[in-house]
Amino acid sequence: MYGGDEVSAIVVDLGSHTCKAGYAGEDAPKAVFPSVVGSIDQMEVDDPDNSDKNSVSADSKPKGKHKFYVGSQDLGFRRDHMEVLSPIKDGIVVDWDMVESIWDHALRKCLLIDPKEHPMLLAESCSNTQHHREKAAEIMFEKYQVPALFLAKNAVLTSFASGRATSLVVDSGGGSTTVAPVHDGYVIQKAVSTSPIGGELLTDCLLKSLEQKGIAIKPRYAFKRKEIRPGEFQTVDLDFPNTTESYKLYSQRVIASDIKECVCRAPDTPYDETSYSNIPMTPYELPDGQTIEIGADRFKIPDVLFNPSLVQTIPGMESSLETASTIRGLPQMVIDSINKCDVDIRRELYSSILLAGGTSSMQQLKERLEKDLLEESPQSARVKVLASGNATERRFRYEEHGASYIQRKCP
Amino acid sequence: MAMAFKMATTGMWVTEECKNSFMEMKWKKVHRFIVFKIDEVSKLLTVDKVGGAGEGYDDLAAALPEDDCRYAVFDFDFVTVDNCRMSKIFFIAWAPTASRIRAKILYATSKDGLRRALDGIHYEVQATDPTEMGFDVIKDRAK
Repeated sequence: MYGGDEVSAIVVDLGSHTCKAGYAGEDAPKAVFPSVVGSIDQMEVDDPDNSDKNSVSADSKPKGKHKFYVGSQDLGFRRDHMEVLSPIKDGIVVDWDMVESIWDHALRKCLLIDPKEHPMLLAESCSNTQHHREKAAEIMFEKYQVPALFLAKNAVLTSFASGRATSLVVDSGGGSTTVAPVHDGYVIQKAVSTSPIGGELLTDCLLKSLEQKGIAIKPRYAFKRKEIRPGEFQTVDLDFPNTTESYKLYSQRVIASDIKECVCRAPDTPYDETSYSNIPMTPYELPDGQTIEIGADRFKIPDVLFNPSLVQTIPGMESSLETASTIRGLPQMVIDSINKCDVDIRRELYSSILLAGGTSSMQQLKERLEKDLLEESPQSARVKVLASGNATERRFRYEEHGASYIQRKCP
Repeated sequence: MAMAFKMATTGMWVTEECKNSFMEMKWKKVHRFIVFKIDEVSKLLTVDKVGGAGEGYDDLAAALPEDDCRYAVFDFDFVTVDNCRMSKIFFIAWAPTASRIRAKILYATSKDGLRRALDGIHYEVQATDPTEMGFDVIKDRAK
């Protein structure tokens, strides 16, 4: 190490959509990649695709009877019979083998470190159970032999990253949205509320609603595009019969989420069909060269966050949230959560609402939430919604921590 | 988080100078405000600036840097509706958006240690921009 006596700690945040890993005290994570893995049954090991000696397959490793592929580069490469699976369901880890392969990728392939030499900080969701914390600690100490480990709630980390010990953290991520009040560095567990509406659900809504309009998104692997003359392109469709449904969906989602990030914007007032029926269309060019126009959906899809029952009006999505009527919108979640806290701190919570997570970087979302809360909150409260200035920064906000806060502790 | 707190609060020593100047402010009323800062190299909490009894709230606002975190205590004198002279001490945690994230975390986690060392604070304010610690906020809280 150069100069300092401080061994830099490693921070890993395994989210439902992306996994972020980096050094403590830095402003942004070193490695960011999707937290899904491509899995191939080892039965099909004689598949020619697996045996070729390119660098991509050298990156993967056999694990039990599955072979896992991790990282955006590996997942961008289509393989026959590769299923895309997620180790996380509803914010809770269900498959530890996959988690191990993701950690392996983050530590050994991306950060190129020996985990024995670095203290580790894991960010965990507010709803993590005792059992899951034990399991995570077991793997960290026994497999990676880390010298020190600390598990911190990500709401607390977000709160500290903005310099506040007391705040209400609204974390709208890929798989879910969590509203958690933090008081003096502790999460008030009884007041935490979650909803399954996150970026992935919005992406699916967009995908379905485009499909219904007759626009099929061609996954990147399904065609070849070349320049025949300068400025003129030719698209050739390719056919891979052995591609799994889940990989096709994964590739389509990658494109749909880019469309969402480019054009969607939270409406200033609740969405209604009539007033948005003749708004100007926004063009978007798909990877295969075809240009699509997106109109009312630009506003309708983000509004699902505020009014979950809108999901029912999107064809093909009716079944995704059977209990949509019981799921509350974002402003309602914030108010309910504050009302479950002690009277003395409610005022302070209203004045420091922090936005975190990828979905919260949606354009105009902060302004809309502030406006909705002003209407419904008690008169005396000063509502203030805070978010860091730029969208990409906001996603990785809770990555950064001073190394000195990491302490050995067995949960 | 409890351990992290302990670590952060015991690691960051509050110097005698801080306690003494706070006591002077509380008992002798010689200061209007005190600004504290953490010295990252020595891990000590030191007094950054003090404001004399004649200075006002605007001087405190001017004493806080725009791109770094600070703690401040402010002695607010006012007259209540029934003509009673009152004095309340405010604690302000200043963490502007432009400051480094490392500094924000350092100040947020170490706050508890200083708060415990300083006895007799009535209200606490967290601020990230000047509007959040405006004079109206202070007056509103003191009511």
